[in-house]
Amino acid sequence: MTAEVKLVGLDFGTTTSSAVIASAQLTRNAVTAKTDLTGIQEVYRSEMVFTPLIDNRLDETALAQYVDGWLASGEVNPEEVFGGGALLTGLTAQQVNASAVVRTIRRQLRNALIATADDPSLESWLAFMGSCAGMSRTQTEVPIVNLDIGGGTTNLALGLAGNVLRTGCLYVGARHIEVIPGSYRIRRLSRYAQELLAELRIVKGVGNCLTESEVNAVLTFYVTLLTAAIEGTADLAESRAARLHKVIPLSIPHGLDNVIVTVSGGVGALIYSHLSGESWPSTTCYGDLGIDLARMLLSSKWAECFRNFVPHSAGRATVYGLLRHNTEVSGGTLFLPNPDCLPLTDLPILGVIASDSTDEDIENLTSLLQKARHGACVRIELLTDDGPSVRSLAERLSGTLKARRFPTEQPLVLLVTENVGKVLGNYITEWGALPLNLVVVDEITVRHAQYVRIGRLHKQVVPVSFYGLHDQGDAHEDADAAR
Amino acid sequence: MKTLTPLADIHVPDVLRDQTYTTSCMNQQFSFQGLKALLGAADYSKAGERNAGLAASSETAREAARGILSRLTLQHLYDHPLTNEQGSVDSVMRVNYDVDGDAFATLSTMTAGELKNHLLRSPESEVERAGSALTGVMASAVAKLCDVHELILIARKVSRPTTARTLLGAPGRLSSRLQPNHPTDDIRGITLLCYLGLSLGSGDALIGVNPAVDTVESVSSLLYHLDGLRRRIGAPTQICVLAHIKTQLSCLERGAPVEILFQSLAGTESTNLLEFDISVDLLDRGYRRMAENGPLKGKAEQFMYFETGQGSELTYGRHSGIDMTTTEALCYGLARRYDPFMVNNVTGFIGPETHCDSFEMILSNLQDHFMGKLLGLPMGMAPCYTLHSNITLEGQQMATELLTAAGANYYMDVALNTDRMLAYFDTSGHDDQTLRETHGRLPASEFLEWAVSRHIFSRGTQGEVTRGPHWGDPTQFCDSEAEFNELLCATPAVPSFKSAGPRPADEVQREMRVNQAIGREAIHAELQIDELEKITSFRVIETEAADQEAHLNSPKLGSRLAASSLDRLSPEDCQVQILVSDGLSAEAVHHNANDLLPVILDGLKGRTVSTGQPLLARYGRVKLAEPVAERLEANVIVHLIGERPGGDALASRSLSAYLVYRLTDPSVRTAASQFSGNEDVRFEVTVISNIYSGGLPALEAGGVIVERVSDILAHQAAGNRLESLLESEADRQEGGDAQ
Repeated sequence: MTAEVKLVGLDFGTTTSSAVIASAQLTRNAVTAKTDLTGIQEVYRSEMVFTPLIDNRLDETALAQYVDGWLASGEVNPEEVFGGGALLTGLTAQQVNASAVVRTIRRQLRNALIATADDPSLESWLAFMGSCAGMSRTQTEVPIVNLDIGGGTTNLALGLAGNVLRTGCLYVGARHIEVIPGSYRIRRLSRYAQELLAELRIVKGVGNCLTESEVNAVLTFYVTLLTAAIEGTADLAESRAARLHKVIPLSIPHGLDNVIVTVSGGVGALIYSHLSGESWPSTTCYGDLGIDLARMLLSSKWAECFRNFVPHSAGRATVYGLLRHNTEVSGGTLFLPNPDCLPLTDLPILGVIASDSTDEDIENLTSLLQKARHGACVRIELLTDDGPSVRSLAERLSGTLKARRFPTEQPLVLLVTENVGKVLGNYITEWGALPLNLVVVDEITVRHAQYVRIGRLHKQVVPVSFYGLHDQGDAHEDADAAR
Repeated sequence: MKTLTPLADIHVPDVLRDQTYTTSCMNQQFSFQGLKALLGAADYSKAGERNAGLAASSETAREAARGILSRLTLQHLYDHPLTNEQGSVDSVMRVNYDVDGDAFATLSTMTAGELKNHLLRSPESEVERAGSALTGVMASAVAKLCDVHELILIARKVSRPTTARTLLGAPGRLSSRLQPNHPTDDIRGITLLCYLGLSLGSGDALIGVNPAVDTVESVSSLLYHLDGLRRRIGAPTQICVLAHIKTQLSCLERGAPVEILFQSLAGTESTNLLEFDISVDLLDRGYRRMAENGPLKGKAEQFMYFETGQGSELTYGRHSGIDMTTTEALCYGLARRYDPFMVNNVTGFIGPETHCDSFEMILSNLQDHFMGKLLGLPMGMAPCYTLHSNITLEGQQMATELLTAAGANYYMDVALNTDRMLAYFDTSGHDDQTLRETHGRLPASEFLEWAVSRHIFSRGTQGEVTRGPHWGDPTQFCDSEAEFNELLCATPAVPSFKSAGPRPADEVQREMRVNQAIGREAIHAELQIDELEKITSFRVIETEAADQEAHLNSPKLGSRLAASSLDRLSPEDCQVQILVSDGLSAEAVHHNANDLLPVILDGLKGRTVSTGQPLLARYGRVKLAEPVAERLEANVIVHLIGERPGGDALASRSLSAYLVYRLTDPSVRTAASQFSGNEDVRFEVTVISNIYSGGLPALEAGGVIVERVSDILAHQAAGNRLESLLESEADRQEGGDAQ
């Protein structure tokens, strides 16, 4: 069975914004009945546009026009969108009206996919998956650190065998110091750049011209910060400005050898274009230090890596990540007696109920769930997926829900990795006798996230997207344990 | 384009009363009532003929029949057309009479035995001329008189070259059809199997996919994909998606690249019409459409592709008393009408009810190849088997060696012998290259040039062709390792691409063979009733199959309740009855029942569905649910039964649930009848398959089964009608939401 669907990825970065629209097939494996997204084909790729700003605010009208234009050019109706996402990243996510913009985009997309802002771990994860997941899967023994360097932030992700193990974020980007194109005359400084110039004792402000040595000092600071993050050498970058530039530290485990470093984002695109034979663009032609940062990185110790390991997509890694990796597809036998309850968005993931959870654990979590009037989600962890274990856990949970008179209309979503959705849901609801607005989504790799979105039912499956990602450190321990 | 003789213009003699053929041998009298019985008795003893009651009662009786047959003139065979159940000549038989009248006039007084001698003594041109004078029945008669050497010797005199982008069947050539089937039509898996086959030098006859889904959309999409792949790689060959002819013609109408038009054929009109949904008129239209609008118009001299194989008519019970060899020959008489590019014989595919062991399969293949070539067809061969027969890989390989000696035009390339969709075993690209090296054959010349340019083959200074440095390396067609790995992830049953000479490396062979061994063991395992009784208390019932051999060789026996069980069962006031039987894998029951049954019982009870004590049947077949449902007067039978194992060891533990709904209410029965077009419909069936740890886990399957049973009872429908009702319901809801 195959059915065609549309995927949309929208990335609103510090400097630029872009969209990619793809068609894909929902392909159901005749043996396992598991449905996957296959044959993802890009059908539309927008031009990169400067993220529109008016007086330090995002220009909501201009952004909305871009979104409408992209959807129209990609010939896609919001109703037919199965997955993907829209993400405000870098400094854009910190604009005062970022939340309002997110709400506008959600309305425009008719709530068809996640739209969120300021989710640096998600950005790191997406950039890694969008740029070098394929490379990582083929070189399973080699750790890869991807630096997604945009205008405002660098999102770092350490991955192994196609899985992101750890994420980090630094305020290292091309556009903290905006200059007049063709010169180094300062047009605007972010507050991070102001702190940095002060620490470097560079007494320059808007209207002043930076000297070559001053530019080099700024860039050396950035590269030192990146190197410290990649190598896990905190002492390299412990100044006040350095601490200010760290959003989420990337804690690289000790003893990790032969790390490959790749770069994505706008700076990554510049590096790989140059390596493929393109000449450098003219001095500061984008009005920032992106070209200079790219050049300095190419003279750093990582240059050899950049030459030898070219990622799948450098310039649009985040948007490709959104498109290809942000939507998981549920199992084909999920428990969903009432499909009309979907989509469910912004569901908080409140905890875990495991086979070895105590009755008190279950009671406490159920109490928490009951307080989430708009619905909430719980991860189910089965130690074994044999009949008695599943039945036992279901009956314990069922008993607690019954005893607490869990509201019958309140959405309750369970996420489980094993293919047990229908049987688990049926035992919990006593085969339909217990009235609950319960959804059990199975065959899902549950990510360490704060929120989940469950999309509408389409050909027996639902799209699932996570956001509000935690640092992936726990995942690393999981991966270690698995090995 | 060949002119198709209108059916009405083909002269067929009037039907005569059956004649009794008698002879004596060492004072023993032998008598055969009618030509059909004589032809049946004259053949080697095969399971199909034995099951149909056509096989000779003894070896002497067979030789007696052969003796009579050898003395019958061709005119006698001409004057006695075989008839259908209604006693008339059907369209397939009629087409068989579209012979070269002048040539027949020169041969008509020859006996069948004299014709065999004539063919053995004559050069190729005369064998070809003689073939054009023969009907399928005459070819079958001669085949039954030939021993193995003769079947090979006469067939190898005839080369039947055909031309599309490549020239097939020229002397010294051995081609292959790449068959990259995938269980879900996943284009990644199909692509990788194409890459593998092409890297093995396979696919010069055709790249042809048997689709899992036979819809215009899906088939068109596959056609475009194969076309794009072929163009990108530049291999001179042709593509085909082996869907039903109607689907392909619709694809052609919409502009899809239907380069070669495929259809399976049977040797009786009733099988073609009622089972394959085709007629001579439809085939004629397809032929003309391809000649006028086919993408290879002007390039290809031939563009039709037919698949046949002994036993399909018998399996459907539509053989009209005609033996398997003769119905197969009648297929060839029909195929000949369309001057096909390829004819593909898959004798061995059906199972032990037609060919129980390697010997029977090999002989049938040699007969088929002989008859096809004699009747003027470009015969490709696919000696094959399923695990529930006693045909082995070694038997299949012996068949290919003999058929190559006989001059087969081409074989299949099913990667590592394992068809990932059809759960059977066929020849592989490694086999094809092994045969080319053993017998000094080469692929089609156009394809060979391309393969040499890709270093798949190398040409030495003396013109000798050997495997090249890229032989067997599918990665050569991928842009990156990542791309290759993505394709690999989507392709089941490919443990490795390592080879040793033209063969798969030993470690690969070992893995594939152990999978087959486990599959066979699952088929021959006996149901452990005592162990199953620990899960729940069963009522044990018997089928008419007295033992496993009878069960495997005759599907009918396992479909019927034994008289003792019929007596024990009586109507019960229960909506649902659960029936467990071994089917073709008792291991499937053993590995799933423990998780599955308690959930079904809990679920039905939880939903207040009345259920009787579960039944357990050894040697059961799918259809056993019907007499059980009628005897117990149940609304629904949940029949849990072991599936036919394929090439995946784990999948030999795969169980299916057949939810059989008994149609009793007259209005419901009318609705079912209108939906299916079958006035006599008594049951509707919903199937949930692949219940095993690698597919739908037993525990979850329990939940799915309970929900489906609830749907069946609520909607008073099962199968496609139920799906249609559920879809309409969902559409109505969506419509309501939209408003």
